[in-house]
Amino acid sequence: MTAIAFEKVHFSYTETNDGADKLFASDTSFALDGVDLSIEEGEFVAVLGHNGSGKSTLARLSNGLLTPDSGKITVLGMDATDEKNLFNIRKSVGIVFQNPDNQTVASIVEDDVAFGPENVGLPREEIGKRIDFALNAVGMEQYRHSTTTRLSGGQKQRVAIAGVLALKPKIMILDESTAMLDPRGRKEVIDVVTRLNKEENITVLLITHFPEEALIADRAIVMDHGKIVMQGKPQDVLQDERALRKCSLALPRSVRICRELQAGGLQIEDGFYEEDLAENILALLQEKRADIAAETETAASNPTSKDGVGEIVCQNLSYTYNPSSPFETHALDGVDLHVYSGDFFGILGHTGSGKSTFVQHLNALLKLPTAEKKYKPKKGKPIPQTTLTVNGYDLTDKNTDFRQLRKKVGMVFQYPEYQLFAETVFQDVAFGLRNFVKELQEDEITAAVKDALETVGLCYEEVKDKSPFDLSGGQRRRVAIAGVIVTKPEILILDEPAAGLDPLGKEEIMSLLHTIHQKWCKTVLIVSHDMDEIAENCNRAAVFGDGKVLAADTPKTLFADETLIRRSGLDIPFTAKLTALLREKGVVIPSDFTTDSFVKNTLRYVSTALSEGACHA
Amino acid sequence: MREVAFGQYYPANSFVHKCDPRTKILFLIVYIVAVFLANSFYALAALAAVFCLVAVFSRIPVSSLFRSVKAILFLLAFTALLNLFFYRGKTPLWEGSFLTYEAVYFTVFLAVRLVLLVLSSAILTLTTTPVSLTDGIESLLTPLKWVRFPVHELALIMSIALRFIPILTDETGRIMNAQKARGADFETGGLFKRIKAIVPILIPLLISAFRRADELGDAMDARCYWGSKVRTKYKKLTFTWRDIVAFVLCTACLVGVVVMGQFIPAII
Repeated sequence: MTAIAFEKVHFSYTETNDGADKLFASDTSFALDGVDLSIEEGEFVAVLGHNGSGKSTLARLSNGLLTPDSGKITVLGMDATDEKNLFNIRKSVGIVFQNPDNQTVASIVEDDVAFGPENVGLPREEIGKRIDFALNAVGMEQYRHSTTTRLSGGQKQRVAIAGVLALKPKIMILDESTAMLDPRGRKEVIDVVTRLNKEENITVLLITHFPEEALIADRAIVMDHGKIVMQGKPQDVLQDERALRKCSLALPRSVRICRELQAGGLQIEDGFYEEDLAENILALLQEKRADIAAETETAASNPTSKDGVGEIVCQNLSYTYNPSSPFETHALDGVDLHVYSGDFFGILGHTGSGKSTFVQHLNALLKLPTAEKKYKPKKGKPIPQTTLTVNGYDLTDKNTDFRQLRKKVGMVFQYPEYQLFAETVFQDVAFGLRNFVKELQEDEITAAVKDALETVGLCYEEVKDKSPFDLSGGQRRRVAIAGVIVTKPEILILDEPAAGLDPLGKEEIMSLLHTIHQKWCKTVLIVSHDMDEIAENCNRAAVFGDGKVLAADTPKTLFADETLIRRSGLDIPFTAKLTALLREKGVVIPSDFTTDSFVKNTLRYVSTALSEGACHA
Repeated sequence: MREVAFGQYYPANSFVHKCDPRTKILFLIVYIVAVFLANSFYALAALAAVFCLVAVFSRIPVSSLFRSVKAILFLLAFTALLNLFFYRGKTPLWEGSFLTYEAVYFTVFLAVRLVLLVLSSAILTLTTTPVSLTDGIESLLTPLKWVRFPVHELALIMSIALRFIPILTDETGRIMNAQKARGADFETGGLFKRIKAIVPILIPLLISAFRRADELGDAMDARCYWGSKVRTKYKKLTFTWRDIVAFVLCTACLVGVVVMGQFIPAII
C-alpha cells in the first residue's frame, strides 16, 4: 500500500501565520508549490533541502498539522484533508521534531513516552507494554525513570522517538531531528531509525540537510522553493554537484574529495563512505606503493607579544559547580593551556568535558575565587597556584578591570541569534559598544556598527532599520556576531558557531571567521565537536576530557594520535579516517587532514607510485 | 551544570518518597493549618518534632532542606524587624528600653512559624516529583469536574510549566551571560537602571518561551493530544499502609494542637 501520496499539493502560509512564524520559528515558512509524491510502505526516504525549501511543510501536511490549500493528500488510504480522519492519521504518522527540549511533555522519561498512548485512550496495562517496547527499541530502557533534562541531546531525541513509537505508527517522520545534535547524538538517532525501518518495517521520512545522512535511504528527494526538483537513489542524487548547488546544498564530503581528485587528473570512481573511497584509491594504485616525504612545514612560530595581546595563558585552573552539595561536579580539574597570539584555535571535547566552563572563565563570566571583590586571603589556607592571563589581563586579581577585559575578549555563545532583543539591527549591534564605551559620539557609533555589519557580510543600509526578527536565521546569526565584534576585540571566542546550520551556511560562517581573524581579531577560539571543522580551519587545537586538557597541538598531530582520540571519546575527521584505512594497506599519505592537503598529497602519492611502478615494469 | 533550584526533587528511596502524593499534599495542608492554630511554644515544639520525624524518614540531607530557608531569609529578617519594633508590648526588656518582652516573644514565635511552613513545603517538593505532585493535585481536584472545572487541563498546564522551569532557568543564565559578555551590567546602578538592564534578558527569553510553546503545541498535536475526553492515565495513584501511617500522624498533629490550645494558655 502507498504510505503517503501527495497529488498536486499547494500550500501557503497565511498572513497571520507568517508573522507569527517569523517571530518564533526559523525561516521555514515557505509554501509548497504543486508537489506530487508517493511513498511506499516500508520505504526509507530522505528529504533534502536548504532552510525554507518547504521540507518541513511537507512533514506537517503529512499528519494533518497543516491542511493544504489545494490538492490531495492520502495517508495509508485515508484522506488527510478530511478532519474525521485526523485522529487516525496522527496515530499512524509520528513526527519527531528538531529541538528535543520542546517536544518532551513530561519530566520523567517513562511519563513522556506514556503521553501518546494515554491520549488515544489505551488501557493501563497496554500503555506499560508500549513503554517497554518503545524504550527497548531505542535502547533507553535503563533510563526509564530518569529526568528528561539530565539526558544528553542524542538520548533526549531517542526518548522523543520512543514517545512517537509508543503509538505504534506505520510511518515516522524525522523533521531535522538531528540538526541540533553533536555527531555522536546524530549517529545514535540515525542508527535507531535505520533499525526501526529494517526490523519493524516502519516507513521513514528523514528530513535533513546533511547529505551524508541521506546516503542510507532507499530514495532521496531534493526540494527547492516548494517543489521537488530531484529524486532517485541517493547515490545518484548526491553526485550532481551543479544541481545540488542550485538548491543551496552541498555534496557529501566524500564525493567532494573524489571530485577534487578527479580534477587533479585521477581516474577515480566516486565513493560515498571512507571504505569505498579507500578501496577506489587502492584499486587505482593496484599494488604499487610509494614513499613520499611530508611537505616541509613552516615551523610553527609562536609569537609572544610583549603586552600579551591576543594571548591566553592558563595554568592549573580548577572549577567546581555546587561545591559541597550532593550535586557537586568538578568541571575543571587543573587545566593548563597556552593559546598564542594569532592562533585560530580549536577546543574539542564532548559534552561535559569542561570546555564550556573553561571558555566562560576567559572573559570572567565565571570568576576565580581570588578575583571576587569580597575575596580576602585566609591565613593557613594555601592560595591555589592558578595563573590565568587573557590578553594581558590577570584574571586571578580582583583589581583587574573586567569591563575592559570583556571589551577586548569577545564571546559569541551557541545559537547567538536567540539573544537578539533590540528593535532594530542597528540598536542591537550598538548595544555592546554603548555599554563599553560611554563617551562615544553618535557618528563614531554609526561608523563602527556599519563596519561590523559589513564585515559579517550584510548590507548596512538594507538591514540597519529592520527588526532583527524579520531576518532569516543565517542573517540573524551574522547580526549577533557583528554585535560582538563591534568593540574590536583582540580575542574572539565562539561556542559552536556553525551549530544548526546547513552545510553551505557552515562554510559561509567559517569563511567569515577567517575574514574576522585576518581583519579584526588577533586570536580566534572556536569550541566545536565537528572534527572536520577543526581540521579544516584551526592551526592549533586542544582536546578536553574530564575537566583536563588531554593534549594541545596542531590538528595534524592530535588526529594522528589514536589513543588520545579514543580516550576523549571523539570522532576523527573524514580525511583522517581515510588516511588510517589507507595506511593499513601500506599507503602512507602524509597530510594535515585538511581536504586541500589530503587531495594534494594523494595526487602526489599516486603520481609517484605509478611513475615508479612504470620504471620497475 | 545548573545550580539546584529551590525545592527541586531530591531523588531517594525513602518512606516519605514512597507515600502517595495526595497523602503528602493533604498532610501538608493539615500541617499548615496546625501551625497556624498553634498558639504556644509547646504546640510549635510538638509540630517541629513531627517535622523532624518526617525529615528523618525522608532521608533528605539537612543542607538541602536549609537551602529552602535561605531563600526566604530576607523575608524572615524583614518581618522580624517589623515585629520587633512595631509590636506594642507592655513589659520593657530593661528599664527605659524601647523593645518589649512581648515583641521579642512574638517575633521569635512568628519566625519559627514561618520557618516551619517553608521547611514542610520543601519536604513535599523535595520528596515528590513534579509529575506525581500534579497527578496528586489533579486527583484531589477531580470532584470539581462536576462543576465543569477543567481539572485535567489545569494539571497538564502545571506539569508542563514545571517541566520547563529548568530549561528556562538555563536559558536565562545563557542569555544573561551573553549580554554580560557584551558589557551589560546587572549588578550596579539604581533601581531604575537595573530594571532597564533586564530588558535585554527579558525580550529574548519571552520570544524563546513563545517559540518553545509553539513547537510543544505542534509536538502534542502530533502525538494525538485531543483533550481529556478519551484520555486514560498510565500512572495510577494507590494508597498503601504508608499512607495510613501518615494519615494517623497527620490527624494526631491537628488534634494534638487543638487539645494543647485548650489546656495550655496562650501567652500572646
